[in-house]
Amino acid sequence: MKPLLEINNLETRFYTQDGVVKAVNGVSYAIEAGEILGVVGESGCGKSVHALSMMQLIPDPPGKITGGEVWLDGKDLLKLDENQMQKIRGGEIAMIFQDPMTSLNPVYTIGFQITEALLLHNDMTKKEAWDRAGRLLELVGIPGAEERLHDYPHQFSGGMRQRAMIAMGLSCEPKLLIADEPTTALDVTIQAQIIDLVIKLQDELGMAIMWITHDLGVVAELAQTINVMYAGLIIERGKIHNIYKETKHPYTMGLLGSLPRLDDLPGTELISIPGLPPDLLHLPEGCPFAARCVYRVDQCLTQRPGLEEVDGKDHAVACWRWDEIAGNG
Amino acid sequence: MAKTAPEDIVVTDFAVREHRSLWGDAWRRLISSNTARLGMFIVIVFISSATLSHYFWKYEPKKDLDYSLKLKAPSLRPTEEIDSIHIFGTDKLGRDIFRRVVHGGWNSLRVGIVAVSISLIAGGAIGLLAGFYETITMTTMERLLLFGLTGLLLGLLSAWIADQYFQLILFFGLGITSGYLPELFAGKIQRMSFFGAAGFLVAAIPSFFVGLNIALICGIWGLFVGVLLSQDLDGKFFSNVMMRIMDMILSFPGYLLAIAIVAFLGPGLGKGMIAIGIVGIPVYARLARSAVMGMINKEYILAAQSVGEGHGRILVRHIIPNILSPIIVQTTMGLANAILSAAALGFLGLGAIPPEPEWGAMLGDSYRYLTSGAWWAVLFPGLAIMLSVLGFNLLGDGLRDALDPKLRM
Repeated sequence: MKPLLEINNLETRFYTQDGVVKAVNGVSYAIEAGEILGVVGESGCGKSVHALSMMQLIPDPPGKITGGEVWLDGKDLLKLDENQMQKIRGGEIAMIFQDPMTSLNPVYTIGFQITEALLLHNDMTKKEAWDRAGRLLELVGIPGAEERLHDYPHQFSGGMRQRAMIAMGLSCEPKLLIADEPTTALDVTIQAQIIDLVIKLQDELGMAIMWITHDLGVVAELAQTINVMYAGLIIERGKIHNIYKETKHPYTMGLLGSLPRLDDLPGTELISIPGLPPDLLHLPEGCPFAARCVYRVDQCLTQRPGLEEVDGKDHAVACWRWDEIAGNG
Repeated sequence: MAKTAPEDIVVTDFAVREHRSLWGDAWRRLISSNTARLGMFIVIVFISSATLSHYFWKYEPKKDLDYSLKLKAPSLRPTEEIDSIHIFGTDKLGRDIFRRVVHGGWNSLRVGIVAVSISLIAGGAIGLLAGFYETITMTTMERLLLFGLTGLLLGLLSAWIADQYFQLILFFGLGITSGYLPELFAGKIQRMSFFGAAGFLVAAIPSFFVGLNIALICGIWGLFVGVLLSQDLDGKFFSNVMMRIMDMILSFPGYLLAIAIVAFLGPGLGKGMIAIGIVGIPVYARLARSAVMGMINKEYILAAQSVGEGHGRILVRHIIPNILSPIIVQTTMGLANAILSAAALGFLGLGAIPPEPEWGAMLGDSYRYLTSGAWWAVLFPGLAIMLSVLGFNLLGDGLRDALDPKLRM
């Protein structure tokens, strides 16, 4: 079966005064219809930028997509012009954002903002759109949805706003929903509710979801496939149990190792990966993780490893020594 | 022990309260402030007296002349020498000052509204587009239109010098051509020379029929415009060009520029309005641009883009309503400023043409009689200027407080 969305060698650069920031450096993968994909990595690793690049929402200047293809339904999104792209956004791919406090326009009611997306992509009357907005708001679990449509964003709590954002994202039944750290700004209980909500909605509506986060715990709960990103590259990709149980890349191991555990004794020091991510202005020639890696050999400093299949198990890793290290993690 | 059954508890959902609109809230805050109420009162009195007198108390300044009533002091009841009442007294031509002050209000109001509209529409549009496209990539259509208009705007100088307004179309075409062919010799000196030459020819050839000197001046300007339009035509560039033009206007003292423009156009209330309007453009352009740039990185703009909204829609629906409050405040203050500027021009004899009642002109007419004791001829128009300006300023201050987003939750 053809995948829903296929990304080939996507490259995004930011041309700043200090130099060229290499934010995304050749990312390739595919999302199947109905799949939940988790994209993890620390801040500044290109998670959000690669998603925004797919939507062509990179601020230009300074940003520029310098290469690659994004195939959706036999169309390369990067070759479409702004007008065609506007039909894709919201209609085929929708996006929800990190901070529900700022992603709703304070001067319009929630209902207005949801119906706006509906009216843009569907041929329906205002009345129909309003009814549908009410049903959507109910779907995302806001009590008294019909009434709350008339509320302004400041009358909603953070969790409710994020629900409203999700309702907006779902309004045109996109094939792919990109969730850019949607739970980061919320507290843990609300986080759990939102995750449950997304799983439920995915069951009902069957769209694919790309869930971008730095929280490995969150993706463990909902994703089927995980991309681990580092310095604008995917360094490990696989089904969820592969990533968590048969970790291959030293960076992923470090990430998992640095999670605090419930059964740690009080006073146990938190483990962290020493060093900092590489400066994206001066990306090293070899493996970007080499400087922080305990398994480093000379080859790592001079040659950049590509994603390599691990014995045909839907698991790929970009490391020269994965087969030696495996098991030691 | 008494137990409370769950069904006895009245659940009040405190999160749901009466629906208040943004503007309703602002209005409530506005009328709760005393100074704003005072300002509003003055403004309403001013507007209604000006409007009502214009429509229901006709006045023909050209026929109003009575030397027998020259410079009479204010009186509240008829005396044996004067049988009419002049509560503000009369001026050097025996005209009733009260009547002229009230009718002068109509002129001031007109100046204020027209001048501020000119500044607001031109400045607002420039600032809005400059701020918007500084972050958001323009589509091809938008680029063509925007740079066509930039060419047209810059070409205005050449067209005006040569008095050949069809040149505007040529400059418009030049902008469009450059916008349509961004790849033509991109980044090379040929591109600059090509468009520079094109600009030179576009301006110089038609101007040649007017005169050699004119052709030379226009040609040089055309060369400059052509070179400018040969650059990378993106939002940043557009914003830069527009803001530098605004800086040029701002570098003149306001009154001086207004006087210069009136000197070019000739005196008269209408021309005064244009002059005051032009002087005010940069204020609105800068205000709108900075407001848009503060707004454009908000996530809801990104969210609006991500549901597939077009640029025009984002601009009108999401950006304009959010930057409206500083603009409203500036507009109110701007009205006061325009009234003051009109009075200044009138005082210098560059505003309204004499028999027309206008506060500044009335002051200019009468200050010479101050030494002979005719204080009323100067006091009342002066008071009218002061009060109307004060009223608009107080109202503007009140609006600023009422619309301040920091006070809102």
